[in-house]
This record gives sequence, structure tokens and C-alpha cells, in this order.
Amino acid sequence: MLKLYLLLYYEFFKTGLFAIGGGYAALPFLYYMQSSHNWFDMDELTNMIAVSNITPGPIGINMATYTGYTTAGIFGSIISTTAIITAPFIIAIIIMKLINKFKSCKEINYIFNGLRPASCALLISIGLKLLYQTITYNKEEWSFPVQFDYNAIILFLILILPFTFMKKRPFIVILAGAVGGIILKNI
Amino acid sequence: MEKISLREIYKIFFIIGAQLIGGGYVILPLLKKYIAEERKWLSEEELIDYFAVSQCIPGIIAGNIAIFSGYKARKGLGALAAITGLITPPFLCILILAHILTNFTNNEIVQEAFWGIRISVIVLIIITVKDMWTKSVNSKFTYTLFSIVLIFLLTMKISPAVIIILSALSALLYSKIKGNKNA
Repeated sequence: MLKLYLLLYYEFFKTGLFAIGGGYAALPFLYYMQSSHNWFDMDELTNMIAVSNITPGPIGINMATYTGYTTAGIFGSIISTTAIITAPFIIAIIIMKLINKFKSCKEINYIFNGLRPASCALLISIGLKLLYQTITYNKEEWSFPVQFDYNAIILFLILILPFTFMKKRPFIVILAGAVGGIILKNI
Repeated sequence: MEKISLREIYKIFFIIGAQLIGGGYVILPLLKKYIAEERKWLSEEELIDYFAVSQCIPGIIAGNIAIFSGYKARKGLGALAAITGLITPPFLCILILAHILTNFTNNEIVQEAFWGIRISVIVLIIITVKDMWTKSVNSKFTYTLFSIVLIFLLTMKISPAVIIILSALSALLYSKIKGNKNA
């Protein structure tokens, strides 16, 4: 059990250190944990993302709390939540001491020029993998033969078309998905 | 200026944490109201600076701004009080919801709803990338980097930490080479 707690702390410390920009930045790390540690399955991962979106609080931290709880109970959730904020906390304190220097640092801008496209690729690769798994019933990445879940394709199109143009309100997207799911599974 | 108590910092960030629904950017108007306008712990300009810097360092944006604001008010302990206050309400919410959900996972309607929510999550991911796109992928270098990283991610299992480090290094290297050419 101690080993699990340490591993949990290590994984979320790493997530806190390397997940840069917005709430979904932690997602690629969770996906990676799923595939390398088997702490939770794909269904649980999407449940965690959904719950993190509809509860108050920063999404990244919420996902850490939920993952910790699923993996190792309440104590696990305390560990993962503490772990994900450890590195940012230390870095933020250091930055505060040199904030004026930091604002004009050119190298930081150059680095971000590379980090932003990488974050886009990380997120879209997860989006594509999840989409593939959902519309083909396959639990593995890119496995064959392919059998399509037409209900899933219909719901995906119904949700993606309007919400691409609307202002992003995660709560409404999730609610629409839940209602759509119940309707499509019962007709 | 009279000393701000740690309890006060914790309390304010607890209230902000409870209202923080839908991701990091929502914290800015809340901080403006509670901290800059009502309590004057910092100015609006400082808040905007903190916001800009928060996006550029590791960690969750809302968490970073909370740490900065708490630090401004009472140094290290203030920062600790702020971040703890901010995450207490969501932490409790998640525990309660997670506990309830584990008891309901065998319910058919709940399963159907979560089947639909899984598709919502995919849609949210796609919308997020779309929002990030123009600011992120807008030059020859960024297009190339995006394509290479995506191909690697779709074909093999790589830790995101490795991707982040390699991308940062390649961007730095690229800027050096380009800088030398211009000089």
C-alpha cells in the first residue's frame, strides 16, 4: 500500500510539474497513467473528467482528487491533490520573488512557441483515441475488426455541430450528452 | 497596512473555490471582485500580470493565481492558506460525488447517461483544441511540431512529460538557429 501511495504521489507530482496551460492539460497524464498502471479503466476515466467538469474547482485538481479516490480511497485523494500542487506551489513562490525579470524573459516565449502546439497534439490524440474506442466498441487503441456503434456516431454529430459555434459551457455539453445518452439508449 | 489574517485569506479563497465552475479562467472576475475591489489586497494591474504569468508556468491557472495572491498578502503562509482554501470545497464535492457514483454505477439510467457523457467529453476536448488552435499552431515551425508530435502520439505510447520536455527543447533550439541566421 505504501508503494501505491508513493507511486501516486510521484505520478501527480510529475503531472503538476509538466501540465502547462488550462484545465485539460492534466488529461494526457491521466490517460498515460491509465495505460501504464491500470489504476482505473477507460469508462472510469471519462466519468472522472465529467464529474470534474460539473463540480466547482479547477478541473485539473478535481481530476487529481477523483483519481486518487478511485485508486486508493480518501487517503489516496489527499495524496494526489497535494502532489499535483506541490511543484506549482514551489515554482510560483520562486516566480513571485523574481516576477519582474520573468515577464520580460525572451526564452520563456520561445519555449511556449513549442509547448502550445505540443499541448494541442496531446489533447487531440486523446480525443481521437477516445472517439475511436467509443464509436467502434473497441477497448484497445486502433484495434480491428471495426464494428460501428451508430448511436454513438449520431450523438457525437448532434453534440459537435452546435457546440463548435457556441460559447463553451462544459456544463451544458455534459448535460446534453447525458440526456442524449438516455434518449438514444431507450428508443 | 494592517496585517491580513491567514484565516481571512483561507475564508475568501474557500468562497471563491466554491464558485469556481468550468475551469481556470472563471477565477479572474471572482478575484477582481473579492480581492481587488472589496479588499484591495492587490491592484487590478497586478491581477492581470499574475494571470499572464500563471499561464506560462506549470500548474493549474486558477491555483497559480491563488498562490500569487496569497503570497502578495502574507508571503509563503498566505500562499498556503489561499491554495488550501481554494481546493477545500471542490475536494469535498468530488469525494461526495465519487462516493455516490460508485453506489449508482449499476443503475441502468446512470449507465446510459454516462455513455452519453463520454461523448460530451470527446466534444469538450475537440472544442478546447479548436479554441487553442489559432494561438498555438500558426507558423511553419508550429505546424511541423504539431504534426510530428501527433504522429508519435497516435502510433506509440510516450509519456506526456517526455513530449513536453522535447517540444520545449526543440523550440528553444529552433529560436537559437533562427536568431543566428538573422544576425
